[in-house]
Amino acid sequence: MPVYTFRIQRNQQNAQGVLETRYQDYTLELNETTTVLNALEELKGDQDGTLTFRQSCRSAICGSCAMKISGRTRLACKTHVGSVARDGIIELAPMANQPIIKDLVIDIRPFFRKVHQIKPYLQDGPEKATKVDRSSYDQVNHVTQCIMCGCCYSDCTMKEVSEAYIGPAALAKAFRFVSDPREGQKSARLQELSEPGMMWSCTRCSMCIESCPKDVKPMEAIVKLRTRGMEKGFVDGPGPRHALAFHQDIQKWGDLNEFTLLQRTVGILGSIAELGTALHLLKKGKIPSPFPHQAQGVEQLQKIYTLLEQNPVDVETKAKEVVPE
Amino acid sequence: MSLEFAYYPGCAAKQVQKEADWAARAVARELGITLHAMPQASCCGAVSLRESKPAFSLAVAARILSEAEAQGRHLATICNTCLQTLSHANYRFKNEPELLENINAVIVQAGVRAYKASINVYHLLWVITDQVDPALLQQKIKKPLNGMKVAPFYGCHSLRPAEIFSVKEGQSPDHLDRLIKVLGGNPVAYDGHDKCCGFHVMLSDATEMRTMVANNCLNAKGSGAEMMISPCTLCDMAMGAYQKPAENAVGKEINLPEMNFAQLLGLALGISPDTLGINRLHVDPSAVLASRKVL
Repeated sequence: MPVYTFRIQRNQQNAQGVLETRYQDYTLELNETTTVLNALEELKGDQDGTLTFRQSCRSAICGSCAMKISGRTRLACKTHVGSVARDGIIELAPMANQPIIKDLVIDIRPFFRKVHQIKPYLQDGPEKATKVDRSSYDQVNHVTQCIMCGCCYSDCTMKEVSEAYIGPAALAKAFRFVSDPREGQKSARLQELSEPGMMWSCTRCSMCIESCPKDVKPMEAIVKLRTRGMEKGFVDGPGPRHALAFHQDIQKWGDLNEFTLLQRTVGILGSIAELGTALHLLKKGKIPSPFPHQAQGVEQLQKIYTLLEQNPVDVETKAKEVVPE
Repeated sequence: MSLEFAYYPGCAAKQVQKEADWAARAVARELGITLHAMPQASCCGAVSLRESKPAFSLAVAARILSEAEAQGRHLATICNTCLQTLSHANYRFKNEPELLENINAVIVQAGVRAYKASINVYHLLWVITDQVDPALLQQKIKKPLNGMKVAPFYGCHSLRPAEIFSVKEGQSPDHLDRLIKVLGGNPVAYDGHDKCCGFHVMLSDATEMRTMVANNCLNAKGSGAEMMISPCTLCDMAMGAYQKPAENAVGKEINLPEMNFAQLLGLALGISPDTLGINRLHVDPSAVLASRKVL
């Protein structure tokens, strides 16, 4: 059987209560289909009882054993050692974007505070439907698979640079309520989700789609939330204004008019604030022409746009029936 | 083997990042790849159009893909966001026949040829590293990088979600790494190579975007990089043109030259820096290039 080296980030408080970080190597002879969690238990049982990590169900249901495994956040119980070793080395670290308590254990409270911020329960109100069609499950299906493990939150590239950002898991959960016919406050939710630090702060890097161990596709839910927000008229803010500029330009020019995009996105005052950057870009001629190239056949695009406005086509992705793993 | 593609440079390469387009055309010519113009192609709409007008965005993509299909060619682009947008639409058209039928029904009424979902969407980088004869590429290198330590910055929209792309890089992307090695450089491993450049939140979350740029560049530099390359005109804009604003935002000096992969490839092929628009870069690469005898 192959020998694996586990390079584990050890985090321990010193006498002054300050967290100290070091790396410790352990070796184990394992079958390549052994899970990282089994390996950790063997290490703790046989080699080092002080090694601390969180675990519970061993079945990818509870989400407790999420940790950074070879650079990406994964569930230790669902990850085979052979699939993540690089030259026989497996690096383990606690999840990112959350406070570390000890070794591989993080404080999950800030993550859950973000989830609670979106009010994760059905609310009474004027938009409540009492008849629920089977097809309404098409939209909530993916997002109800979420086990709140926090993998997406840990790998989120916006979370890494923003304390304020609510994060992918909470937004996926918000989508679950916005698209539930029984929810009475859909518009109020979309209005709150249009505030800074909420749905418009996602960079759309798709990292959460890759990191999610349950195929929740949080970013796809964020894209759909934005569509629903704009449809409800919540278009005040650089995010929606920027998104709306695209279909105006594509109809008019075929191409994007980058020259006026800034002003349309952040407004006149915002443009003045960006003036320093604009002058910096100008130094290398990186200011777009006010008259972009016009594609041939722009009238086709105008026609398509009009046809779709008259007879909308539903193109939303629908989740398949959930089949238990 | 004839390498002919319908060429879709994307809006950025037609306007602010012209140098990436110049470099792409120059290296393609040198390597025997013919890039055919797409005079009718519009902006792909990026994720923004998917958000504001989901059906229109698929129709716009179908119209672009249909033009390439009518030429009988696969499509090649040099913008990751165009790559992702068109790949996403193409993936859906290939897997959801009913959706394709519904979109075709609309575009045909506007005089657009129905799309048959028969073509693939490629990045020009993938064409160069997977389809050009490696011996030919090797033989064309006139100015090897002489061990230059180059950080590959892949950019999210060429990696994720992995399922939609005709060439899957997944969690271990290697196209840029392979290219850097062929050119005689040393690819640098660093935290950030597959992260976000922040371009798409440049205006809505300005400080966060600049912090992302700074983190990625500083991590690369901390791992020994002398140069950074990306396959994406938008990443180039963020990591290169916005590097100075990023320095100001985080209060740290970075000074890591960044350029499009086609520009560094072009230099190694001996194409003149003027043709490749090297003088349009915000972080001057001449000292690094001179020290490795590439200039």
